[in-house]
Amino acid sequence: MIEFSIDGKEVSGQEGWTILEVAKSHGIDIPTLCYHPAVEPYGGCRLCVVEVDDGCRSRVVVSCIYPIRQGIKVLTSSDRVDNVRRWIVQLLLDEGPGSVQLQQLAKTYGVKPSRFKAAGKGQLCLLCGLCVRVCDEVVGVQGLSFGNRGLRREITSPFHAASKDCVSCGTCLYVCPTGAMEQLFDQVRG
Amino acid sequence: MKNEAKIGVFLCECGGKISNRISLPRVNELLNYEPWAHLGIYPYPCLSPGLEAMKAKIRDKGLNRVLIGGCSPRAMKKKFTDALAPLGIEPYQVEMINLKDHVAAVHEGTPQDLAHKAAALLAGGIAGLELMEPYEPVSVPFQGPVLISGGGISGFAAARELARKGMESMLFTSAQTPDQVLAELPRTFPGSRIFSGELTELLREVFTSPLVKVLPDRPVEYVVGNVGDYRLGLRQPDGEVTEVTGSAVILALDREFVPGDYDYIGGGEKVCDLLELEERLAQGDIEAGKVVFWVNSPEHGKAAQEFATMAAWRNSLMLAQNYPEAKPTVLYPSNIPLPLTGGDLVEARGAGIAFQSYAPEVHPVVQSGYMTYFSPRDHLEHELQWDNLVVSMVPGEPVPKTQELLRWLPVYRESGGQLRKTQLKLKPEQLADETIFLTGSASEFQDLNEVLQQGKKAARGALHLREKAQKGALVSPVVVTIDQELCEGCGLCSEICPCGGVQHHKPGSGAAPHQADSHLCSGGGTCAATCPYEAVKMLNNTAQQLEARIKTVLSRMKENETLGFICNWGGMGAADLAGVKGLSYSRGVYLIPVNCLGSIDPTIFSMAFVNGANRILLAGCTPTASCHYVYGVDHSWYRVNVMKKLLSLAGLERRRITMGYVDVNQPEAFVSMVESHVDGMAQLPPINRDESTKTKLWAIHATLHRPRVRWVLGTSLRRPTEKEFSGGQVNAVDADETMLDVLREEYLASRILRSIHDRPLNPPQIARDMNEAVKKITPMLTDMAKEGRITIRGWEGGYPVYATGKA
Repeated sequence: MIEFSIDGKEVSGQEGWTILEVAKSHGIDIPTLCYHPAVEPYGGCRLCVVEVDDGCRSRVVVSCIYPIRQGIKVLTSSDRVDNVRRWIVQLLLDEGPGSVQLQQLAKTYGVKPSRFKAAGKGQLCLLCGLCVRVCDEVVGVQGLSFGNRGLRREITSPFHAASKDCVSCGTCLYVCPTGAMEQLFDQVRG
Repeated sequence: MKNEAKIGVFLCECGGKISNRISLPRVNELLNYEPWAHLGIYPYPCLSPGLEAMKAKIRDKGLNRVLIGGCSPRAMKKKFTDALAPLGIEPYQVEMINLKDHVAAVHEGTPQDLAHKAAALLAGGIAGLELMEPYEPVSVPFQGPVLISGGGISGFAAARELARKGMESMLFTSAQTPDQVLAELPRTFPGSRIFSGELTELLREVFTSPLVKVLPDRPVEYVVGNVGDYRLGLRQPDGEVTEVTGSAVILALDREFVPGDYDYIGGGEKVCDLLELEERLAQGDIEAGKVVFWVNSPEHGKAAQEFATMAAWRNSLMLAQNYPEAKPTVLYPSNIPLPLTGGDLVEARGAGIAFQSYAPEVHPVVQSGYMTYFSPRDHLEHELQWDNLVVSMVPGEPVPKTQELLRWLPVYRESGGQLRKTQLKLKPEQLADETIFLTGSASEFQDLNEVLQQGKKAARGALHLREKAQKGALVSPVVVTIDQELCEGCGLCSEICPCGGVQHHKPGSGAAPHQADSHLCSGGGTCAATCPYEAVKMLNNTAQQLEARIKTVLSRMKENETLGFICNWGGMGAADLAGVKGLSYSRGVYLIPVNCLGSIDPTIFSMAFVNGANRILLAGCTPTASCHYVYGVDHSWYRVNVMKKLLSLAGLERRRITMGYVDVNQPEAFVSMVESHVDGMAQLPPINRDESTKTKLWAIHATLHRPRVRWVLGTSLRRPTEKEFSGGQVNAVDADETMLDVLREEYLASRILRSIHDRPLNPPQIARDMNEAVKKITPMLTDMAKEGRITIRGWEGGYPVYATGKA
């Protein structure tokens, strides 16, 4: 048993568990976007950052992929964490300003419209890749994937055409945190 | 292998998303008297801590069935089944009820109220799990040769690959020597003579290999069997049918070409098509002069034109090599991509072959010695001089021999003439390994090279199966079983099966019981719902399980609530998404997921009405476009239709059972469907369950169990768009009226049986009991007595006294 604390609460877990899993199971809420229990954690959106103090120094880490260790002290909403999270929400909001979830998060963290150039107004996709991962890991096909690179990165079907692999099961729709998949779904299944 | 069900119920709080809306302790109370061995509430059963807690409980209490009340099985079930597999819990032993998206997120109401609905759905799940029968998948041997039928060139590539890997094959082909194969090849791959050097090597290897048996091609009389044991009946010239046995079947079918229609051009000897040119080339019979290849016949599609361009290129190359003065030009339509590589183009330039595109909007015109075409590049009309004009060949119809073969296999013809293997859009885990392979250009116009690759790939598929079998991992996933005692061999199941999973039996063998090929079966279940004798069973998805589930749910429903069936794809997808999007709808609809609406036996509907349902709503995929089991939802429509007819015969409202279609991406449509249904039903009072109505409902249920009714229903299962009808019916109304007549008779018979079930009665007594005129029932009574369904127990006041059972 690995014993440690989250927000001062003494908790324990087994090797291989992540901070996020233990926190959630103890009713401690950490905001997430790219995390879904159905698939392996990805550490993409960085929203689930927490501060980990291992006695020597403290660091801000991504809780969904950070394995628990003996004796660490985890803070889920310290000033430092909130500051990092605010920046992340800011950047994500510019990526997908149309998303209702992000607008709510922005409200919670007091994020105002930023000085960065925001994506299109109705833009929803945050490139969290949940759709891609759930298609691969849960459904077992590769109906859609990331396309392009850098600033032009996007979720798309192979060759932007109807995917031969897609079984139109709609699992990607179910896990999409922003509803962006709804617009893409018809292109993917053809 | 039967063991007692020990059901563990795991309720998820989902971080408050469920527990804030549904009072889970109340659910626990409501489920008190259900037969579970463990019931617990967990914060997140899906996360590592929760999974560990679940595993511990399963180990402690020796649970062998798991019911999770949480979110959608579409996303989450795999995580649970993967995690529980080391404990010996098979995927089919895990059931999930979507409390989050079907109850918590979409309904208004107090947590106590919602707990009632959640408990009803969970109790249904428990009832279904209780009846589940564990089964052991059977390991299948994979021995004997691979049967390569169809005679296509890809068969040779397959045979070579198999021989190289030390696997036997039987190759059925009309050509018995390499030369014959090469001579026949231009009919399927015009222009391929240029490859004869490389092909000779391949053919030599196949014909000399001791592992390949090249046998003359014979018409296939039947295909039966399972993976590892397919049996082909071949009709020999003397009429005898010989049987060959093989482990897998590779169908190598190539599209044959026929001469194009170029009579209208005229020009005599100077105008010919590609097939004829090739013949002349082989014989060295080409007249001097410039040759123009014109890729015409747009009516056969762009793919065919591309194929013809390729053939024209190969022939022009041979022509240029042998007749330098020919200076060939290939005139191809500009709306197809030139199917040539950069290397090909360099070679063409070197050989003096010109490629010229024409705009297909303006049809090129042939004159004597010249033809004009419209160039898409400069919008000018140009003239091209020719001495010999070569037009395209056109794809022919499949030969009767092939068509015969297709009857037996899950391969169908598309409208363009291409062959397609039935491909159901299902998740890979729901499809077993491929055991029947379709290769060759019959499925798609393809170059020789690609077709040979396909053959090789099919062979690798067969080798993969052998490898799996050697490890003992080739297991037959038992999906459908057919009770050999009950089956009468009518063949309805194999007629309507969309995946070819129910095999045909040998012709002429009479009423032989059918069997299911589990490697082809997709678990759509329409066969089970159709079988007139109720011999077909979907394992772990039986009508009995569904019955138990529905009975339990119904017992907890109110009179003004609706029993809803949703299919695992469209209906459930849209319902789940409604929860994700936070839409809200009336909580009076209890959703029961089924794999496909087509898998619901019609007796399930009647049973639901008998057991207290007042209204039923079915939500499935949009027919034809998105049904994952091809016709499942169409088949369901007919069953619902019959139920409606029976309801109206019993004097009840037809609209008590309704169908709805919804796409997976349309949660709003789902909500408006449910709301509209609830609104429409608001004025409809619950069924007045007096003695007479109860008897009528019972009679409906009995009617739907009658093989005659089920048979007529089964034969009428066609897509509503089709214009052909079974038997002597000529139109939709006729067919429907026949159905109605049968229902009327059988419904009356069922009521009579019910009436005399407890005590023998004479006709006036029966008529009074049924509240019908005596003369209406007497012909039926006479008929039934003749058939032996009822017996005459004696005479009373000049009337016979009828009773049930044999004399």
